[in-house]
Amino acid sequence: MKEKILIQYLVLIHWTLFSATTVIDKIVPDVYPLWVGADFYTLFIKLFASLGLTDPLFATTALAGISFLEIVAFVCFAFSLFNLCNSKDKIAEQCFYLGISFSALTFSFFSIGDQVFGDRFTLLEHTIFWIILMVSWVVYKYNTLTDERVIKFSMTKDIKTGLLVGVLLTLITSYSIVDFAKATYTNKTQPLQGKEVVEGVYKFDFPFLGDKITMENTLKAFEENNPDLKVNYIYTGPDELNSKKKTHMLLYVFTEPNK
Amino acid sequence: MKIKNKIIGKDLIKYFILIYWTLFWLLNIVDKVIGGAHFLFVGKDRFAQIQRFFDSLGLGDPIIANIALIITAGLETFAFVFFCGALYHFTKKNIDATRSWFFTGIVLTLITYTYFTVGDQVFGDHFELLEHGLFWFIALLSWIIFIRVDKIQLFDNFSIGKKQFIASTIFVVAITAVTIFSIFWHNHTSFVERNQAVNAEQITENKYKIRFPFLAGSKAFENSIAKFKTDNPTEKIVYIYTAPTQLRLGESDGLIIYIQTEEK
Repeated sequence: MKEKILIQYLVLIHWTLFSATTVIDKIVPDVYPLWVGADFYTLFIKLFASLGLTDPLFATTALAGISFLEIVAFVCFAFSLFNLCNSKDKIAEQCFYLGISFSALTFSFFSIGDQVFGDRFTLLEHTIFWIILMVSWVVYKYNTLTDERVIKFSMTKDIKTGLLVGVLLTLITSYSIVDFAKATYTNKTQPLQGKEVVEGVYKFDFPFLGDKITMENTLKAFEENNPDLKVNYIYTGPDELNSKKKTHMLLYVFTEPNK
Repeated sequence: MKIKNKIIGKDLIKYFILIYWTLFWLLNIVDKVIGGAHFLFVGKDRFAQIQRFFDSLGLGDPIIANIALIITAGLETFAFVFFCGALYHFTKKNIDATRSWFFTGIVLTLITYTYFTVGDQVFGDHFELLEHGLFWFIALLSWIIFIRVDKIQLFDNFSIGKKQFIASTIFVVAITAVTIFSIFWHNHTSFVERNQAVNAEQITENKYKIRFPFLAGSKAFENSIAKFKTDNPTEKIVYIYTAPTQLRLGESDGLIIYIQTEEK
């Protein structure tokens, strides 16, 4: 296989999967087992409400319009991939061009929306995706015009060494991952030990896996271990106090003696 | 001489690309091997992140997160090995082998980021989707630059005049000296703010404001609370309100908290 063809496959597979999952995200609008996705319906409702258009018809119509463009883009990418697999390069290129055009149109609409709704971060996000699309097309096309190099991959000594090193490193990393998971999975529910940092004030460093269950168990254990203390206030340490990012969350528990 | 300079210039770009991707994947692997925050390496707790993601799908069993992480680690490890091999062959001037190894590294990188992109959509994390989309794009561009750099017109040699060279050196030395002095002076005067207690300012009868400097960490918060309690022995803290970002729009506004008290 030629290098350029493999690059074309990778570009096409990327955009086909990207658009396929985007379409699924619209078909499955809520959280279900095996799919979380982003809640575009809520987002659109809130954005249009901020414009004074509280009727859900506006949001749903806009979402339906955008979804249509995304579906067309997905179908074009899928057909392009299908044609490339069947060595129909010209049709594949045309379908890809259409897919890129519809995707670019979608991101252009998104960018206009972002300006109207005043969401600058999302504007940056959509513009980045827009330029990635453009460059993807250039790479797909430019590669076709210029490069004819065939992938050379024979089992030479250095390739064998590379594969062996790769397998060994993967095994070491896998062992480390499983070991770390075993050692830290209990953090998900295990109560934490507090440290009295000021008289009557206890600090709890929540691990990254710490969850609401961890907090409930921590408070339960704290009250059981300190029957002479009454928890009268809980304060979540804001991010500014936890800038080292070594800990997931800081929690301060303010207590007073039980009378 | 001119031709040699040209080659060095283009080789340098290729070295940058190869070294960048080799180190990039090496550190990703190290991050997975170490796991968790340690002395001299904080990294990212990927197990916690992936486990939470799968838990949100209803797949809370840690085996699922482990399998996903092992697949990722495998892709990353082989990408690292192939970039490393490309770098080795490039230093040995095996141009054809360099290209084959680098190409395989790029293919593995693109597959890795496509795999991540699908995950981001399923888990609904659009910030990560942008991040991974960008990395995918950067990998693709790196490939194009690597194979096309030889076709880019590069200057023949460095022809900066002696006068300009001396003048720029003086500028560099002078500005560096001023900057270094400024950095060390700021450290000398401000490092104490990291842990130092901050005075509370009374707003109403039972409400106080504490404005923390940017450098303040959790110790500064704890010391400030301790100081507040010592300064106000008859009062009891009943509530702390953290001023949200919207109320801290001034450039110099760090963390601000409001303390509400009542008589003991």
